[in-house]
Amino acid sequence: MNYETIVIGAGLSGMMAALGRAERGERVMVLAKGHGSTHWAAGCLDLLAEAEDPLGAINQLVQAKPAHPYALAGVAALEQALTRVRGVGEAAGYPLVGNAGRNLLMPTALGALRPTAFVPATMVNGEARQLGDGRPTLIVGLHELRDFFPPLIAANLRAQGYPAEGVYLELPPVERSHDFSPVVVARLFERPAFRAAIGRQLAVLVRKGGYARVGLPAVLGLYNAVEVVRELQALTGALIFEIPTLPTSVPGMRLFQAFEQALTKAGGRIQIGGWVLRGEGSGSHLHAVFSEAASREQRHMARRWVLATGGIMGGGLRAEHTGVVNETALGLPVRTPSGRSDWFQARFLDEAGHPVFRAGIAVDAQLRPLDAADQIVYTNVAVVGSALADCDPIREGCLEGIALATGFAAGQL
Amino acid sequence: MRTIETDVLVIGGGATGTGCARDLAMRGIRAILVEKGDLTHGTTGRYHGLLHSGGRYVTKDPQSATECARENVVLRKIMPHCLEDTSGFFVTTPWDDPAYGDVFVKNCRLTGVPVQELSVQEMLRREPMLNPQISRVFEVMDGSADSFLATRSTALSAEEYGAQIWTYHHVVDLVREGDRVTGAVVEDLRNGERIGILCAYVLNAAGAWAGKIAAMAGVTVTVLPGKGTMVAMNHRMVNTVVNRCKLPDDGDIIVPIHTVAVIGTTDVHVPDPDVYGIEPDEIQFMLAEGDKLLPGFSQYRALRAWAGVRPLYKDRDVVNDRDIPRTFKLLDHAERDGVEGMLSIVGGKWTTYRLMAEESVDALAKRLGNTRPCRTAEEPLPLPPTEHQTTFRPPIRTTGPGARVAAEVEALQRAPLYWLGKHLSEVEREQSFADLICECEMASRSRVLAAIDAGAKNLDDIRRDVRMGMGPCQGGWCIYRTTALLFERRGEDGLSQANSNDALLHFLQARWKGLVPVLWGDQLRQARLDELIYVGVLGADRLRSIAEQGGGLVTDNPAVATEYVKA
Repeated sequence: MNYETIVIGAGLSGMMAALGRAERGERVMVLAKGHGSTHWAAGCLDLLAEAEDPLGAINQLVQAKPAHPYALAGVAALEQALTRVRGVGEAAGYPLVGNAGRNLLMPTALGALRPTAFVPATMVNGEARQLGDGRPTLIVGLHELRDFFPPLIAANLRAQGYPAEGVYLELPPVERSHDFSPVVVARLFERPAFRAAIGRQLAVLVRKGGYARVGLPAVLGLYNAVEVVRELQALTGALIFEIPTLPTSVPGMRLFQAFEQALTKAGGRIQIGGWVLRGEGSGSHLHAVFSEAASREQRHMARRWVLATGGIMGGGLRAEHTGVVNETALGLPVRTPSGRSDWFQARFLDEAGHPVFRAGIAVDAQLRPLDAADQIVYTNVAVVGSALADCDPIREGCLEGIALATGFAAGQL
Repeated sequence: MRTIETDVLVIGGGATGTGCARDLAMRGIRAILVEKGDLTHGTTGRYHGLLHSGGRYVTKDPQSATECARENVVLRKIMPHCLEDTSGFFVTTPWDDPAYGDVFVKNCRLTGVPVQELSVQEMLRREPMLNPQISRVFEVMDGSADSFLATRSTALSAEEYGAQIWTYHHVVDLVREGDRVTGAVVEDLRNGERIGILCAYVLNAAGAWAGKIAAMAGVTVTVLPGKGTMVAMNHRMVNTVVNRCKLPDDGDIIVPIHTVAVIGTTDVHVPDPDVYGIEPDEIQFMLAEGDKLLPGFSQYRALRAWAGVRPLYKDRDVVNDRDIPRTFKLLDHAERDGVEGMLSIVGGKWTTYRLMAEESVDALAKRLGNTRPCRTAEEPLPLPPTEHQTTFRPPIRTTGPGARVAAEVEALQRAPLYWLGKHLSEVEREQSFADLICECEMASRSRVLAAIDAGAKNLDDIRRDVRMGMGPCQGGWCIYRTTALLFERRGEDGLSQANSNDALLHFLQARWKGLVPVLWGDQLRQARLDELIYVGVLGADRLRSIAEQGGGLVTDNPAVATEYVKA
């Protein structure tokens, strides 16, 4: 089958780009090795961490750093992308709440407060300005879920001036399960009897302790989390909010599902399990890519391509011990900090971030990949998301913002 | 200042010092051991984990070879739970002198190191990944040893016999009155308290730091810290220890231990045991040497690199540090320097630690008028609480040079030998799949809690006890979990969230230091995921303002910081 656009990579940037192209009426396929960083990250939309007003700060950033992905995509693309992604959430019954002009401060599973611009409606009641209203908060977990520890979360919140207690609930009777990962527990929350049993325990605790809010791990269902929150609020009389756990990220899975629904509705296709090994082009035109398939390579043809394979974490870039960083799908030229000796800071949590993670593909204003001499490598390829050079999306706190802005831009070109 | 009196003050909580404390206590001699870090914090906890057959020293250092061969058998009897009977090969690769094989066998016979030649075909049947161009293979009684567990078990025994083991106590000064050392002033690093210790003898077992300790008494002991760098790979591509059949050199040995294979080592003289780094070319050299033993070795995922400093004692001019004998030496400073009240035990190897302790304590007992015999070679070590009470006995070796000893050890019916499937079999028996705090190393919640209750002073102590954070993810999940458990368990005892936060930040940094030398490919990808988890999901970087040392933990003390401090 011939596609007009094939998007390589199923993370946020790839899904955003695919949706844009599909909504323009193109035949679109997302071809991906696996899921993207949605499944690892917190499931919120980080635009820029170190700013009270992220949008204002991004406006300044694009002036100061013209090679930054935000500058290439443009602030307008970011704003339109945010409108579109909120529409995708709404349509899936999973609204995203927030404001690009003011960061929210959300409690983490360590009890730290992390800035982010938009959060799912299931988390918003935990925002720090609400927690600081003087009324006590209860943080609740399950012993069996070892990716969330209420006593430490509550103690760290208290240390920052927010009254909070942390307790464990009794696990309601369940059928035998070998493990209790966030995804397993989220599936349990899809069951009415399980929710009711949790709700009864919570109601007792809330009544006894007079808590205004209850924070739970972000495992309140895979498909109907907003409903689950509403139900638990009705049962307890307290405001309920989710806190992201260690991966796997249930809120990230929900975000992916919302995009999957939107894309499918727009006529797009998704093929997960297609690991793109190489491309085939002539001159500056990419004709086809080859993915790993049973006993052979599968050839995929399209007129236009979006490369959304991610950075070093996503597997779109791979660093060798020789000091070379390679782009793994098409073999595009990568801009890399000079030698291995300059790749890392001495401190793991150094605010400046590790230079190697700024490696990536340089692109022009239409996101087309450039070689070392700034010549366009392929005119029909756009590069989006964490594969782009000159940005450390995790340290800058703009992982989702970059993905959405560049993905949106590639969807409209 | 509080002052305590004892018979012998042992300085150093490595294998040797701990072994001395046990031996002293078993003979009824009062002993206090002080160690500035955790037990095994120095060289003992930073070696590749080889239980020497003696094969490596048969030519250059025959005395050491004989000592290793004897102690190898003793250790199998007293600490089977710490040892894996991997067996060992010495192989002649195309890069090695083919004539050395015969020399090797002859010298094995002369030094009492059991050896047996195998066909290359048999070698490849047992270890199919090895280089098929290998021309000769000799099997010896090498094994792998968990030096953390062994030292922990030895300390437990010492304490049962009445010795006091003080970890995180740093020697501030030795007290010398005229020609006699009469004690020491030590500092408790948890709270800064200084304690005076009066003793009849100081036993300096500080390994690579022995020169620094001796200097406090005005005595010169030249210990050349010889840095050995090692790399742990994420696969056990061999289940047998593999040595190149040549004189010991850099990158010539692969030791399968627990879930990894370790390649070692380099030997670089460093001026100070507290100041050394790991150079990228050391790593690349060893990976390239690994390819000679096992084609494709360098393409496996490297997990971590670390270095330890050998405590090589130099009593004459030696040009190459590899030429310094690996045997140990007991220095009587009364005879040697005219200073009474102090002995130093220097040099040696992990495999001979017990023998070193026996000789040291024999000398001390004689001076103290104690005539009770050494029993450390007969009495087995107790199991620390972090160990499973396992009942399954892995099948014993029935062929090769180790078969006779294996049968002898088995007949004693002591704790079963360690084997690779041990932790998994326990998890299956207990059905504790859902309770793994560290999935990579299969450390269950109950074992992590046991390590916390045993008195861990930071997350690194817990790591040494249960291997938490030592697998492929290098702590991505378990550092958070273990920190939270530490807080929950010790909150009542004055450990605050701020102390817990500090422990977490400290441990993240400690892991990072060992990762940087091997960060490329999948391990770099993993490090980036860990960064997403700790920065992008948990916001650990935002805890700095609410983190502080204390609560009984020692997390950032310069006296303990020995690893990879770049000069």
